[in-house]
Amino acid sequence: MKQFFTVFKFELLHYFKNKAYIITTSILCVVAVIGLSVPTILDLFGFGEDKEPTGPSSSETSDFDTYGVITNDIIDLNDPSLTIYFPSINFIEYTSPDLLNEDVISETIEAGFVIESDFEYQYLVKNSSMHDPLVSKFSNYLKHNYQLVTFESLNIDSDKVFEVLNTKVSSETIVLGKDSVNNYMYTYILIMMLYFMVIFYGQMIATGVASEKSNRAIEVLVTSAKPNNLIFGKVFAGALAGIIQFGAIIGFSYISYEINSAAWNNGLDMIFHIPLDAILSFAVFGLLGYLFYSFIFGALGALASKTEDINTSAMPITLIFVGAFLVVMAGMNDPTGSLLTIASYIPFSSFMAMFVRVAMTDVSMVEVIISLVILVLSTGLIGIIAAKIYRQGTLRYGNPLKLKDAFKMLKSKD
Amino acid sequence: MILEVKNIKKSFGEAEILHNISFTVQSGRAFGLLGRNGAGKTTTIRILMGVFNANEGDILLDGIPFDQTKYKIGYLPEERGLYPKKPVIEQLVYLGQLRGLKKAEALKNSIYWLERLGVIEYKKRKLETLSKGNQQKIQLASTLVSNPDLIILDEPFSGLDPVNSQLLKDVVQELIDINKLVIFSSHQMSYVEEFCDDILIMNQGEVAILGCLNQIKKDFGHNRLFVSSTNYTHQNLKEFMQSNFSENVKVEAILKKGIIIELLNNTSKKELLNLLLKTDIDIDTFQMYEPSLNDIFVDKAGDK
Repeated sequence: MKQFFTVFKFELLHYFKNKAYIITTSILCVVAVIGLSVPTILDLFGFGEDKEPTGPSSSETSDFDTYGVITNDIIDLNDPSLTIYFPSINFIEYTSPDLLNEDVISETIEAGFVIESDFEYQYLVKNSSMHDPLVSKFSNYLKHNYQLVTFESLNIDSDKVFEVLNTKVSSETIVLGKDSVNNYMYTYILIMMLYFMVIFYGQMIATGVASEKSNRAIEVLVTSAKPNNLIFGKVFAGALAGIIQFGAIIGFSYISYEINSAAWNNGLDMIFHIPLDAILSFAVFGLLGYLFYSFIFGALGALASKTEDINTSAMPITLIFVGAFLVVMAGMNDPTGSLLTIASYIPFSSFMAMFVRVAMTDVSMVEVIISLVILVLSTGLIGIIAAKIYRQGTLRYGNPLKLKDAFKMLKSKD
Repeated sequence: MILEVKNIKKSFGEAEILHNISFTVQSGRAFGLLGRNGAGKTTTIRILMGVFNANEGDILLDGIPFDQTKYKIGYLPEERGLYPKKPVIEQLVYLGQLRGLKKAEALKNSIYWLERLGVIEYKKRKLETLSKGNQQKIQLASTLVSNPDLIILDEPFSGLDPVNSQLLKDVVQELIDINKLVIFSSHQMSYVEEFCDDILIMNQGEVAILGCLNQIKKDFGHNRLFVSSTNYTHQNLKEFMQSNFSENVKVEAILKKGIIIELLNNTSKKELLNLLLKTDIDIDTFQMYEPSLNDIFVDKAGDK
């Protein structure tokens, strides 16, 4: 145990003394604090307050865009509802389609409308854009105009009709279980964090092991300490370094948000105010899953002889992990679906999938415990296998060992 | 302390690498473990250190099974390696602690060995910034930092200049003098001859020769004489011997300074000398032949 702690401490200090680790953590914390303080800073300088109108502005008219219309007497350009539909547009009556075309091309006017009947019009524009809201707005106006005219001709009180048509139905959703809409955001963020932690630190652990092999420090290490202590020390130190880094970022973000929450109008409560059961399941499942993958990455590092070989060695497990991540992300859209349920029992994905289920749906305690037991046992088993591969792999040099060879080594009693 | 290795066998997969290796190492007497590349020396060393388990055989220390966890072992591997980007003192203390020392003791020992080996000024430097010779010394310091009971030095002199070699020789001699178990593996036979009282030459995973070096030399030179003359060339002397005394001697080799002959049919040295004195050969040298370790190695481990 003493040896384990010696390795653990040495490896942990290695992270803490690593400039890249310190700088990345500091930058991310500063970015989080500053990012979350932006509304307060804006308020401080008066940018966030609503400006009172300072009297009638002469620019109001000058800001108007001018559009040309050939009305064919179907609409009246003095109709007040036209101003309601198009508050910042000044319509000019044209009689000649050629003149309208010319003015559109020469950009004297923004665009032109040629109204052909109650239900038909042409929109003349020089360069069309992907999303021009004017077309649907103008269609709506024409439709409205036609309705008014028709109601009038039929002696129907149009106000009454519109009142009936526009009756509002109010509703209120009372969530008795989990609100998966509100929980989606923090679940999504935490899953992304887990993903990056596993990928970053998994690679770092694998590189650490392989570099000890490539600089031959391993020769001295395996003859000075038990391989189990070496790999467990390394993986746990990597795990703690990752947790401390992400913990610092989360901590600083949380404190910064708490200080600035008034400026945010509590708009990010759904991210920062996470229920205790979700936090607990994230901590427990996240940590176990993280260790699960870290052991695999550690063992894979031992299979490579040089750090350059790590990508080749780690490719299969990276693909499995990315696959598991995508399954869980897809499952978040249907948290009660069978895809996520199955994924929540497979140790390669359960640490993400079960957390999503706990955060977004109601999961029975029995299911959580079964998934947890499977994950704990698999992590323990992977730890033991990793230690054995590490012991066997560390003293073998040459071509990167394949997983097939690694499994053969497990059977040997060397 | 007496370390006994008894009938060790080791296989990797189908291939048996070590076949019945046995030897004994006594503290205060340096032991030379020799053999060509691939003879099984490193595997034997790794089994001794508990990195691999032997398929068969026993390792005993003072008569009881050797439990590596209860003793400190200092190993200087042939493939040198420590952390290139870490300060020297940090890694020495780490390795000392890994081998069971408390931090303060590990630090004290580290400083002692850095001073003893003349590299104390580099204690805070990163290993990769040191010269090859100084890195070698740091590696030796890392081997000795835990004050080991059993010291295994694999090619300790490679990469050292004559001054540093002398320093290392002194250190190794000190270790032998304070009754440490020292196993010395090298291809530089002169160093082995200088230090080792006992040797084992391994060949293809087997014991080719084992025992006290002086005795081996005597046995190897048994019944052999080294003869030279002032008035005969070595070639002429050989031909003369073969044509006149073929029943008494067999010429084994021509060396730079004379020829080696083996006495046949119970011919004694005195009888041969009398025979030679009756000829016109002006004898320059007539002595028992004592082979060098190199000769023994080539004979026992070379391609036959």
